[in-house]
Amino acid sequence: MDGVFGNLMLGFSVAMQPSVLAYAFAGCVIGTLVGMLPGLGPLAGISLLLPATFGLDPIVAIVLLAGVYYGAMYGGSTTSILMRIPGEAASVMTCIDGYAMTQRGRAGPALAIAAIGSFVAGTFSVVALMLLAPTLATFALRFGPPEYTALLTMGLLVLSYMSGGSMLKTLAMAAVGLLLGMVGIDAMSGYTRFSYGMTELADGVGIVPVAVGLFGLSEILMTAGQASPPPVQQPTLRQLIPSAEEMRLSIGPITRGSVVGFLIGIIPGAAHIISSFVSYGMERRISNHPERFGNGAIEGVAGPESANNAAATGAFVPMLALGVPTGPITAVMLAAIMVHGIAPGPMLITEQPQLFWGFVASMYVGNVVLLVLNLPLVGIFVNLLRIPYSYLYPAILCFCVLGVYSVGNSVVDVWIMLAMGGVGYVLRKFHFDLAPVALGLVLSPLLELSVRQSLAMSGGSYGIFLDRPIAITMFGAAFVLILLALKPLIFKGKDWRHDVGLDEPAAE
Amino acid sequence: MKNGLACVLLALTAAAASAQDVYPSRPISMIVPFPPGGVADITGRPTAAALEKVLKQPVTINNRPGAGGKVGNAAVANAKPDGYTIMMALSSVSVLPEADKLFDLKPAYTLDQLAPVALISADPVILVVHPSVPAKTLPELVALARQKQGQLSFSTSGVYGALHLPMEMFLHALNLKMRAVHSTGGGPAITMVLGGHVDMTVGGPAAITAQVNAGKLRPVVGWGARRHEAFPNVPTFKELGYDIEYYIWAGMFAPKATPEPVMRVLRDATRKAVEDPDFRTSMARVNSPVQYLDAPEFAKYWAADAKRLAEVVRVIGRVEEQK
Repeated sequence: MDGVFGNLMLGFSVAMQPSVLAYAFAGCVIGTLVGMLPGLGPLAGISLLLPATFGLDPIVAIVLLAGVYYGAMYGGSTTSILMRIPGEAASVMTCIDGYAMTQRGRAGPALAIAAIGSFVAGTFSVVALMLLAPTLATFALRFGPPEYTALLTMGLLVLSYMSGGSMLKTLAMAAVGLLLGMVGIDAMSGYTRFSYGMTELADGVGIVPVAVGLFGLSEILMTAGQASPPPVQQPTLRQLIPSAEEMRLSIGPITRGSVVGFLIGIIPGAAHIISSFVSYGMERRISNHPERFGNGAIEGVAGPESANNAAATGAFVPMLALGVPTGPITAVMLAAIMVHGIAPGPMLITEQPQLFWGFVASMYVGNVVLLVLNLPLVGIFVNLLRIPYSYLYPAILCFCVLGVYSVGNSVVDVWIMLAMGGVGYVLRKFHFDLAPVALGLVLSPLLELSVRQSLAMSGGSYGIFLDRPIAITMFGAAFVLILLALKPLIFKGKDWRHDVGLDEPAAE
Repeated sequence: MKNGLACVLLALTAAAASAQDVYPSRPISMIVPFPPGGVADITGRPTAAALEKVLKQPVTINNRPGAGGKVGNAAVANAKPDGYTIMMALSSVSVLPEADKLFDLKPAYTLDQLAPVALISADPVILVVHPSVPAKTLPELVALARQKQGQLSFSTSGVYGALHLPMEMFLHALNLKMRAVHSTGGGPAITMVLGGHVDMTVGGPAAITAQVNAGKLRPVVGWGARRHEAFPNVPTFKELGYDIEYYIWAGMFAPKATPEPVMRVLRDATRKAVEDPDFRTSMARVNSPVQYLDAPEFAKYWAADAKRLAEVVRVIGRVEEQK
C-alpha cells in the first residue's frame, strides 16, 4: 500500500504542475464543447486533437486527450437532456428520462445529477484502476469470444425482459436493430451483405447517424407536427438545484452505475455504450416504481451517466496494464503515446512510472475540473432552452448534419440520419419504443462476430460454450431469465410487469 | 459556427484560385483511408508536414476510413487528377480489388486508376505465439501443427487483411492447416493471443515489441528478407529456406491521369521530404523504418507485391465456414 501511496504522490507532483493542469483544463473544455455537438463524441474529439499533441510532452499529450475524453462524455449528455439528441452513442439512454425531465421543467437537476454522477463514478473508477489495474487486466483477458457471446446474450435478454410497453413491440424494435446491424462486410468471410453496391455501407450502418436520426430528428419532427408550439421554457436559478428527494433517489443508481460501469468497461469491446444500457435496465428492474421510467425518472439519468463514465475509465485498465487497445478510443490514445516513442505494454508501469502515475493523478484532477467547470455552466446550458423553437430547431438540424457528416466525412451517413429521422417519427406516432433499435444495432455485429469467432476457435463445435466456466455461468443466468419470462405465458398468471404498470403503452 | 464560416470562406478562396497557376497554388489534401492513429495515419502526418515545408503550401490530412481502406482508396482513384488530392495508402490497396473479384462484385476501384508517387516505409511482420505453445522454432511449430492436424488456431486483423495474408502464405508454402479466427483489427488480434484464446498471430514490430519483452508473446519467425533490427534473434523464412516475404508498406499515390509535370513536382518534393530531419525523428519514434523508393522503382516493387498478394488471395479463395 505504501508503494501505491508513494507512487501516487509522484503522480500528483506531475499532475499538479501548472502546465499539466492547464492542459487538463483545456482538454475538459474542448471535450465538453465537442461532446455537445450532435454525433461528435469522444472518438471524434480525440481524433481531431491527436495531431496537435504530436509536438507536446508525452504526459501533457495524454492528459489533454484524457480531458477531451471525459469532457466529451459529459458534453454528450447535455444535449441528450436538453434536446433529446444524443451527443454520442453512450448517451442514448440519457435521452429518454433526461429529456422527459426537461419537458417537466427539471432540466437543471438532470444536468446537475449527470455531472455529479459522472464525478462520483469517475473518481470511484480511478481509485479502482489504481489499486486493481494489473489484476483486473489479467481477468479481462480471460474474456474471449465465447465469454463475450454469453455476456451479450444475457445482456440482450435482460434488457428485453426489462423494457416497458408492449413486449411484442419491444421485441419487434430490437429485431429491427439487430437486422440493421447485419448490413456490411461479414467479418468471417469478407462477403459484403445488404450493401446494394454502396462501398460506404460495407462497414455497416453507424450507430451515430441512426441514434441522432431516431432520437433527435424525430423529436424535431414531432414538435413541428404539433398544432401549437410548446411554450419556451424559462428556467430560474432556483430550479437548477436538485431537490432533496432527487438527490436521495440518485444515490443508489450512481453507486450501482459506478461499479457496473467499471466492470463492463474493462472488458474489451464497445463497453461504454453497453454499460449505459445495462445500468438503465437494472435501475428500472429494481425500482419500486418502474412506471416512472420514460417519464422523467431521475434514476434513469443518474445510473447510465455514472455507468458510462466509469466504463470510460475502466477501458484504460487493459490499455495501461497490457498495452492493448480494446476499442477505437483507446487505440487512438495508444497511438498518441507511441508517437512519443513510448512502447505501451505490460512493462509500462515499471518503465514509465511518471507517465502512468501522472496519468492516474491527472484523472483525479480532470474529474474535479469537470465538476467545477460544469456545475456553474449548467445555468448557461439551460438558457439554450429560452431560444424560441423557430430559431433553435433549424440550428439544431444544421448541427446534426454537420456533426454526423464529420464523424466519417461521409454523405451517406447524413442520408441515413435523415431517413432514420423519418422512420423514428412514424414509429413514435405508433407508440413504439426506439431504444431497442439502437441497442440491437450496437449489439448485433458484436454478437455475430463473437459467436462465429467462438465456432472458428472450436472448429465448429458448440461445446466451446459449455466447457468454459465464465461462459456457462452467464448462459445459466440467461436460461433462468427465459424461464421467468415464460412462466406467465404457461400459467396464465399476471406477472410483475402488470403489477408495476409496465404493460401499459409507453407514453410519448 | 465561426469555424464553419471560416471553412466556407476558405473553400471559396480556393475555388477562386485560377487553374493555370504553377502547381501547387492551393492547399493539397492527403487522403488517409484509415482512422487516425493507424500506420497509414502515423506515416502520413509527418510526410504531409515535411511536404508542406518543401511545397510551401498546406498539405492537410483527410481521414476517410471505411471497408478496410476501400472507401478512401476509391475516393482517390476517382478524384480529379490535378495533384491536389493525393493518398497515403497501405499494402492492402492491392488486395481489396482482388477480394471484390472473388465475390463477383464490381470492384470499387482498380489498380490502374492509381499512379504510385513514392514508397515511404516497409515493415516486415513477425509470427508470435502464446508462451504456452511448446514450439520454440519454426520446425517445431510445423511439426506441432502436423501433429495437431489443423487444431492450432491463429487470429487475424480481418479476413484478407494485412495480418491474414502473411499467415496464409506460410500455411500454403508448408501445406499446413490451421483454424483462422478473424477479428476487427491488429489490437484485438493480439489480445486474443495474450488471453490464450488462439495460439498465434502475426504482428508488426511496433505492435509486439513490448509484449515480447515482457514475455507475454514469443516471436518465432519473421517475413523480412533480413532479420529485423529490434529482433536480432528471430530468424526469417528466407534463411530457413522458404521463399516467403511479406511487408506492410505505406506509399504515396495520386490519381492515374495526374499530369506528368505535376507528378514530377510531387516526386521531387517527396524525395526532399524524406530527408527532412523532423520527418526522420517522427518515423524513428514509431519504430517505422523509412524505406524510400521513387516512382519508377516503387512502381516495379508495387507490381511484384500486388501480383504476389493477388495470388495469395486466390489461393485462400472464398472463405467458407469450416466444419
